Amino acid sequence: MNTALPVLTGIGSVTPYGPLAGLIPAESMDASLQPRAITAWSTPGLRRAFLVEPFRPAGIVPGLKTRRLDRLSAWALVASSLALQDAGVDLNVMDRSRIAVFFATGFGCVELTEAFYQSAATNGWAGTDPITFPETLGNAPASHVALFHQLQGPNLTISSKSFAAESALLQAASLLRHGQADLVIVLAGDTLTQAVYEWYEVAQLLAPACFNQEPLSSAPGFVPSEGVVAMVMEAAGRQAARPYAALCAGRWATGGDARSCVHQMLGDDLPEFTICASNGAPCASSSLTCSARELVGEGAMIFPAQPVAAGMGEAGALLHLLLALSKRPGPGEALLLGTSAHGGYAALRLEIF
Amino acid sequence: MIDAHKTIVVTGIGVVSPYGIGLSFLQDGMLRGQCCLERAEEIYPGFHGTVAAVGALPSLTEVHRYSRTDRLAVVAARDAVADFTGSGNILRESGIVMASTVAGLTEIDPEISRGPEAWYRHGGLMRAASYPVSRVAASVGEDLGIQGPCCGVSVACASGAMAIALAANMLLDEAAPMVLAGGSDALCPFTLSGFNSLQALDPEPCRPFDQNRNGLNLGEGAAVLVLETLSNAARRGAGILAVLRGWAMTNDASHPTAPQKDGIGLALCIQRALEMASCGIEEVGYVNAHGTGTPLNDIAETHAYENAFQGRSRPIPVSSTKSYFGHCLGAAGALEAAITISAMRTSTLYPTLRLTDPIESDQVDWLRGELRRQPLPVAMTVSAGFGGSNAALVFGSYCA
Repeated sequence: MNTALPVLTGIGSVTPYGPLAGLIPAESMDASLQPRAITAWSTPGLRRAFLVEPFRPAGIVPGLKTRRLDRLSAWALVASSLALQDAGVDLNVMDRSRIAVFFATGFGCVELTEAFYQSAATNGWAGTDPITFPETLGNAPASHVALFHQLQGPNLTISSKSFAAESALLQAASLLRHGQADLVIVLAGDTLTQAVYEWYEVAQLLAPACFNQEPLSSAPGFVPSEGVVAMVMEAAGRQAARPYAALCAGRWATGGDARSCVHQMLGDDLPEFTICASNGAPCASSSLTCSARELVGEGAMIFPAQPVAAGMGEAGALLHLLLALSKRPGPGEALLLGTSAHGGYAALRLEIF
Repeated sequence: MIDAHKTIVVTGIGVVSPYGIGLSFLQDGMLRGQCCLERAEEIYPGFHGTVAAVGALPSLTEVHRYSRTDRLAVVAARDAVADFTGSGNILRESGIVMASTVAGLTEIDPEISRGPEAWYRHGGLMRAASYPVSRVAASVGEDLGIQGPCCGVSVACASGAMAIALAANMLLDEAAPMVLAGGSDALCPFTLSGFNSLQALDPEPCRPFDQNRNGLNLGEGAAVLVLETLSNAARRGAGILAVLRGWAMTNDASHPTAPQKDGIGLALCIQRALEMASCGIEEVGYVNAHGTGTPLNDIAETHAYENAFQGRSRPIPVSSTKSYFGHCLGAAGALEAAITISAMRTSTLYPTLRLTDPIESDQVDWLRGELRRQPLPVAMTVSAGFGGSNAALVFGSYCA
């Protein structure tokens, strides 16, 4: 292992698979995850999505108080705690001013933004809720993570059309590389709300499986999803660390040619394993798999984009990566290849342990 | 011996402010001591406040429906690259890091909460599409034909400075040959109502660092800095406006909204930025402060300066330029970076307006009253925000 490379040493997640530390168990992976009917708001008929089952955060992380928080912040707190636990990090022996939080999201605190609009609709702009307002800011989840774990390092929340999670991984690695942090908790996620779901529906982006009980098919459209995945990234070398993967290199761009980018980065040394991360693209990832096949060649193993992660849009890449790692592909080099219906690409070269 | 591949320089500045479009309007207005804050009663029924608004913007050919925040960003970015020279490939492969807290909230009204689907079907669909913070950076990219890495930053009022810090990291990583970095935020009822509900707004023009300060005023605007390595700038023959010598980000981890009373987190941020800049506390000639005018922020910030500059032989000169055109939220850090560079290039320390009875501190030299003229080889700007986030940028003048 190259000790200069940033490594992923812990994983925590709150996804439709439930709150989990580490990889997703094989039995959950083997059972085909299907969308569930939406009951959180009234719908004109059956509407389905990949949803996180309600759970009690304090039941997972003792002492956690989330009563005033939206689900995104609560999930970020649970996922970050599980990731630190999985990494075996003892914060008490670390310099917390050198621990960073890097959160990637597409919509941020959309639940409380909607609640704030609701208070304006009910009471007028002069009567809005002062408790809700600060929690509408995009950085609220990341700052709650810092506050809960007492982390005084850089605390960032970013959003990047199609590639927020890939971008967060690369920029978190940059903080380590340039000595601005010793450890970064990288998080990516979003919550699904009525306003978000109905936007997709009116924009005609949803897959038929959102409207009927049929299994996922190759029809166009996608099934929205929600959740937060957290990964602990640190410089290799901490004794207790059991790394899942190292981040060797990466690029992302909103335009240009993915093929030339990947070849520029990897040369002819193509990885044995490619993880497709289609963000918000159709469930049927056949076209993406084809382009990945073209890119990496016939002999390479391709882990196709997974609908549950694709449904999370620009924050989905950490879940794509988690699902791929959970399949236990064995040690070797891998390419996390993000593509988007909007154009652009993200290509991250990983070494999986 | 400086490493031209690791030295980050500023080669362009674009500004949209209540003074107009371009850094020269901002600079001239501030040199005149002109305050842009005005009473505004019409923003929503029941609002009695003071804001600073940007006037008419040029019409744009919109790739998709732009929010007002997008438009401010696009106009500032166009201004930043107006004098760009060099291969078109450099611009096309550039990165964009744009901060915003408001983004497309300017386009959404409370009716959405009564029934989103109906609201979308009656014209709201494209308006809501501008909601994600990433759309601000994407709009700049689409307008200028930029295809490199593109990222939105949302870290409350520290966002603009953090966008510049992230852009500098991207350049060190050679993720792009050049990065346009900054922030943009528009006035809108959502944020005015929110700050009003927190009783954080001063109905009169704000008085940062004054003992009788009573809150902040909101403004709007955008600023975009063109950042690149010294070697890239030299290769394309770009004029260098300043060197970004150091940057740092920290978090108070103290309270969801209030700053840490003793300012320790912000002081640490300042110290780390100075350390990166290899700059001693005596070298800093000016600090453009966050200085919102709220009771809690300004006293915490004062403690941070006292802590970070402890042992300095002379008090550190500090001013808040939010007293001229309010707090522009996600754009504030970028606008203040532009002002800091302007201060260095014009050898002018801008005073805080309306600062008559400053917070007592024998370690801070509160700039007030007349403009102060002095050479300024090193200056810094400091930002802080809800959620405890802090950012500090250290700029130096460039000597070829």
